[in-house]
Formats: sequence, C-alpha cells, structure tokens
Amino acid sequence: MKKNIILTSIALLFSSLGMMLYSFCGFYVAKADASLFNNKSEVIIVRDGIHNVITMSSDFKGDLKDFAMVVPVPVLLKENDIRVVERNVFNVLNDYSAPRLVEYYDQNPCYDYFSKDEMVFEMSAAPTSVGKAITLNEAKKFGVTIEAQYSIEEYEVLILSAKESTGLKDWLTANNYKIPASAEEVLQPYIKSNMKFFVVKVNAEKMKDVTSGYLRPLQLSFDHEKFMLPIRLGMANSQGSQDMIVYGFTQTGRLECTNYRTVKMPTDRKIPLFVKEKFGEFYKAIFERTYQREGRNAVFLEYAWNVSPYTAVKCDPCVGNPPYNQDFVNAGVSWLNEMNGNATIFFTRLHVRYSRGKFPADLQFQITPNNENFQCRYILTHPASGAFDCDKAQNYLSDLYNRRRNEVDEMYALAGWVDPKSTQYVREYVKDMKEKPEEIKNEILPVAPGDGGGNNNGIGDKKSPAPFLVVALLLGLTWFAAYAGKWMKKLRPV
Amino acid sequence: MALISHLDSRLQKTTEWFRSDGRHFQIISQLTLLCYGIFYLSWDSDYFNFVAAFSGCLIVQLLAIRFAGLPSHSIKSALITSLGLCLLLKTNSPILFFLAGWFAIGQKILLKISGKHLWNPANFGIVLVILISGDAWISPGQWGSGALLVLLIGALGLSVLSRIKRMETGLVFIAVLFALEYCRTILYLGWDWDLLFHKMSSGSLWLFTLFMITDPMTNPNGKWARIIWAGAVACLSFYLSNFHFINGAPFWALFFATPVNIILDYLVKRPAFQWKTADQK
Repeated sequence: MKKNIILTSIALLFSSLGMMLYSFCGFYVAKADASLFNNKSEVIIVRDGIHNVITMSSDFKGDLKDFAMVVPVPVLLKENDIRVVERNVFNVLNDYSAPRLVEYYDQNPCYDYFSKDEMVFEMSAAPTSVGKAITLNEAKKFGVTIEAQYSIEEYEVLILSAKESTGLKDWLTANNYKIPASAEEVLQPYIKSNMKFFVVKVNAEKMKDVTSGYLRPLQLSFDHEKFMLPIRLGMANSQGSQDMIVYGFTQTGRLECTNYRTVKMPTDRKIPLFVKEKFGEFYKAIFERTYQREGRNAVFLEYAWNVSPYTAVKCDPCVGNPPYNQDFVNAGVSWLNEMNGNATIFFTRLHVRYSRGKFPADLQFQITPNNENFQCRYILTHPASGAFDCDKAQNYLSDLYNRRRNEVDEMYALAGWVDPKSTQYVREYVKDMKEKPEEIKNEILPVAPGDGGGNNNGIGDKKSPAPFLVVALLLGLTWFAAYAGKWMKKLRPV
Repeated sequence: MALISHLDSRLQKTTEWFRSDGRHFQIISQLTLLCYGIFYLSWDSDYFNFVAAFSGCLIVQLLAIRFAGLPSHSIKSALITSLGLCLLLKTNSPILFFLAGWFAIGQKILLKISGKHLWNPANFGIVLVILISGDAWISPGQWGSGALLVLLIGALGLSVLSRIKRMETGLVFIAVLFALEYCRTILYLGWDWDLLFHKMSSGSLWLFTLFMITDPMTNPNGKWARIIWAGAVACLSFYLSNFHFINGAPFWALFFATPVNIILDYLVKRPAFQWKTADQK
C-alpha cells in the first residue's frame, strides 16, 4: 500500500514538474502588401501528462488568400493530429473567463427587503486568421525537407524540417512566402533544437464552402515533454508589444509560467457606477497600468477556476452560461467524455503582453497543484432607492459618501483615470444629509481624486520604492551592526 | 559621557556577537528576501503557511535540543530552514508546510552518517513534501529575472558566504552552469545574449546558488571535493533542465547529488564543518 502511494506521488511529481510543450505563435507570412501585424492572438493549451493539445487563433487582418503561418513544433505531426475547430470555442471560453463587472444593490435602511446582486458584462474577444497557393520548388536544394503534406479542410499544411535557417528562409521566399527580415536569426535556434516547421496556408476554393471569410482555429495534438509557447517567432514581424490570451486546461490545478513571473490582476475592487458604460476601456487601462508597474515582463492571471462538470459554482457570479462539456472537448480536453463524469478540469486564463526587449525567451509553463479559484472582477454598488426619511438613513448616507470617495480614489489607483463626473458622483446624496461632510462645509478640499488629479494618465507609474528602501535599510543596518563596533574601536582614543 | 561609553560597549558586544556566527547574516538575508517577495513582488502568500513552517521546524529542533542533547544554538539552523521553506515552497495547505518542517529537521537529526547529516534540510523537506503529497510545488518564476534582483541576492549571499568561507561552492556551481548554458544557448543554438542573461539572472537560481548549495553542513568536507561536487551538481542541473525540461532543476539536482557526499567524504578526509558561536570563541 505504502509502495503504491509513493509510486503514485512520483508520477504526480513528474506530471507537475517535468513537462513542457512546444508550439504556436508563428509569424504571419503574407504576400504583397497585406498587413503583417499580429497584435493579438489567443491560444488554448491543454496538457495531460506529456500530451499537448494546442489550438491557435489570431486576428489576421487582410486578404485571407494571402495568409500563411509558420509554427515551430517539436514533433512530426500526422494528419489526424491536426484539426480545424470552430471559432466559437474561443468565444465561449473568452466570454466565460474575461474580467468582469459585478453589480450590487444597497438596501434602503428605512425599508426592509432583500438586496439582490446581479452580474453584467464581459470583455470582448478577438477573431482569427490564414493563405496562398504555393508551388513547391526543389526543396532539397535549400536543405529543406518536406516531411509531410496534408490538405485539412480549408487549410494546406506542410511540415518542414531544415538544416540551415538561410535555406529555410530562401525556400520560403522562393515559394512566395513573405518572410520578415529578422526571422532568420530566430529560425536558426529552432532548427538546432530539432524542431519541425508547421507551415499553413488557406485553400481559397474550399474556404468559400466552409466559412464566410474568417479563419477557423487550428488544433494540433502531440506528445512531448516540453511545455512552452514559442513566442519569439511571432516577434519577428511585429513591432512593439503584442497581446496573447492563453486558456489553459489541466487535470490538477493552475498553469504557471516558470521563466517569467505570474502575477494576479487586481480584483474585487469597488469602482464608481459611471465606469459601467466604458468598462472595456477601463479594464484596458488597468491592464496597461499593472503591466507597467510589474516591469513589463510578467504574465498576468485573469481567471483560475475548477470548472469540472461536478463542481456547482463555476464563477461568482457568472458572466453567462458556463461552457458545455462539448465546448471543453472541442477545446481539446481529451480526458473528458460521457463515461467520465468525475473528470477534473482546471481552467486558467493568462494574459501576456510581450515585446522583444522584455521577453527574450519563449514562455515556459508548469502545471501546479494550486487549485485556488481566482477571478478578475470589479464591483459596482448601486445606492438604495426610496426616501431617506429615518434616522438610520443618515448613517447610511454618510457611509455612501465615504464609499463613493473611495471608489473614485480606487478608479485612479487602478486605471489612472480622473473623471470630471467624480465630484458630482461623490456629492450626489449630500443634499439628503443633515450633517454635511467636513470638506463640503469648508469647501477647501476638492472631492475628486485623492491624488489631486494632476497626473491624469498615470501610465508608466512605477511601484512605490518604499519596500525597496526598507530592504536597503535592513541591509545597511546589518552591515552597520557587523562593522560599526570594529570602526568604533579604531576611533576610540587610546 | 558614561552613557556613551556604556552604549559603546553594548554596541561592541552586540556586534561581536552578531559577527561571531555566519548564521546571523543568513537569517537577516533570508528575512530581507522574504520581505522583498511579499511586499515588492506581491507574492500570493498565506501567512498561516509561514507560521506552520516555523512551528514545524522549531518544535522538532526544540525537542531535539531537549532530548537528543543538541546544543541550544542549533535553533538558529532551524530558523534558517524555516525561512528557506517560506522562500521556496508553495502548497495548498499549511499542514504540508508543517510536515516539510518536520521532514527537514527530522532528517537532520535522524539521518546522520558519521556525525554529519546528509541533505540540506530545506531541500530535503521541500522535495519530500512534493514527492509524497503531490499537493506542493515550487515556482521557479516567482522572483522574475533582473540585474537588480541578482545584485540584491548576490550582496546578501556574499555577506553570508564570506563569513562561513564557503564561497567556492557557489562560485563553481554558477560558473560551470554559465559555461554550459553559454555553449548551448549561444554557441550551439545561436540565440542572442539577452536570452542567456534572462536565464542566468533568474532569482530562484541565485537564491539556490548562494543560500542552498553552499550549506556548509551538507557540503563535502574537503575543498577540492566541494569544487568537483559543485561542478557535478551544475552539470546535472543543466542536463535536467535542457534535456528533460524539469522546472526548478537545481533543487532536484542537489537532492540527487547529495548522497555522493558520503563517498567524497570517505575519499577526502577532512574535519567536518562546525558552526562557531560567540561562546566557543
């Protein structure tokens, strides 16, 4: 019995520490003048032991005939390892896990009825993309081997291996793929690591039959120890930073980055009601500010939840309907089927904004046993309705006044926003107060943001250096304690 | 005047006491790093876990002092181990922190080979809890990477190593690892330098180099034995991370390389390390 336990735990250890996977985030090689920028992509990664399922989606803008994509993969994929899935999978997962806005309603202290809470909103997602017919030139001449060639629904797939990056680059160019100049230096390390290149383009004829002009995501399945996303290739044709949303599914717990910090987004903060109409923009500002504060090289956690079929509460409150089992299966969760009602599915949503300067290495991940739930949500609280004609109401109004002040401060702290509506918002119920707040009586302090509102973008604000100073002080004290006595001895007159 | 001279002599005594034992430097350094992690890197830390780690380690150590006749100053080592657990281990439950403390200190007391314990206590506790429970893990990415961070950990680490005269273990480890990574990342694979710097400036790696592999109580006793051993740990760690994609490879490499010490100590006979304390001086 004991032996069994130890063997199981060793297996667990290797499943939680050992593995990494490879794939995605190629660059888009478009012909002619089609836009080369890919500023947002979405990936689903499912990891079970060393089995990986990766689904890629991106917002390619341009003529789909011109789309092509190169993705380094660690193994030679067989035809049934590649699948085309519906775009809808991403929409469902995105809607479900996106940062959310919650609304609560205060109860009027003068009447007795139950408060209700409601949930609104979700962030919007991004669409995908792909092609152009290639005539295969003599591959051998370039040191390139065409390992396999498949036609999968509307996509034409080639799996290449190469000896030299120059050869691969020349071959791609000779076959009408437009390659960013800086791609070569990135291709070389992948070739040396024995990676294969998964090259995809769209078959325009079939495209017409299947979709109405948008790209459906591609799903790759393979077994490999490596658990990573090769983002470096994607940087070759994009200037500045790119955003990527990673939806991870595991059997045990959270997905975590092992070579960059994984940081939680600020959550459960109360914000003013007027933010509701522009919540999308507001969250963007929060993300930008958090990204800057964490040094632009962290990975952000937006959602982590045990979404197994057997769990009752999958979010609190939910944005919409939880994904159906079929959605998880479409996303590549291979261990879920009708026979297996007890399957555990842990859903992690990570948001990365990467740029060449701050992300020199590909993202590496690990599965942790961390099964603590997390969601990124912001709270709106509606004031009570009705007349405030009892004594208790005065306390309530005073609390409301203070709460709204805090909400306005919070809005500034989170997003760096200063809004002219703030003053009006904070003072909305002052008219009903018998005892006016001090600052209104004196009319000295502006009610708006605590910070005085001078800096209204707030972007680029660094973390407070205070903790660092404390650390430095500690260090200094240690050295002082260690050497001061010695010096004193020297200084003392004999 | 009398007050000043009184204060002066007090200060003198305190600093002498502080400088007399390398472990004081280590406690302060690890405490500083823990504060940095919690307050600056805003770790997701549960203070209850920390309490569990400290109580686990201290209870066993106190029992050992009472019943196994260990010197009372060994409580400092238990503090270092608890801080090590707080810095590295992550679990779903404080009980596992408590257990890790028991394993760590228990191993130190029970698994003695010719009067010397085998594994670094924190390393042993962490690895065992991960292996047995499957509900604990380490987060190699939690420190991030960066020059400033390396400087901070480096300064603290060197202040400790210079006291206990175990500099060479850490230096050889990091130098061999750097050389191997340079050969693979830059010479063979052809990545840019910034990727190598990113890899080598990982906070977890430096913490390991300066505070774990250099533990004088579990290093081989002979200087050359230590140098060869540190090199071997670096090679194993390089192999595990580059060819088997193991996260936190140095911790595993150290765990598996530690038993080799028995052979090294048998071959190279030198007196084992003893902590010097103020009263021994």
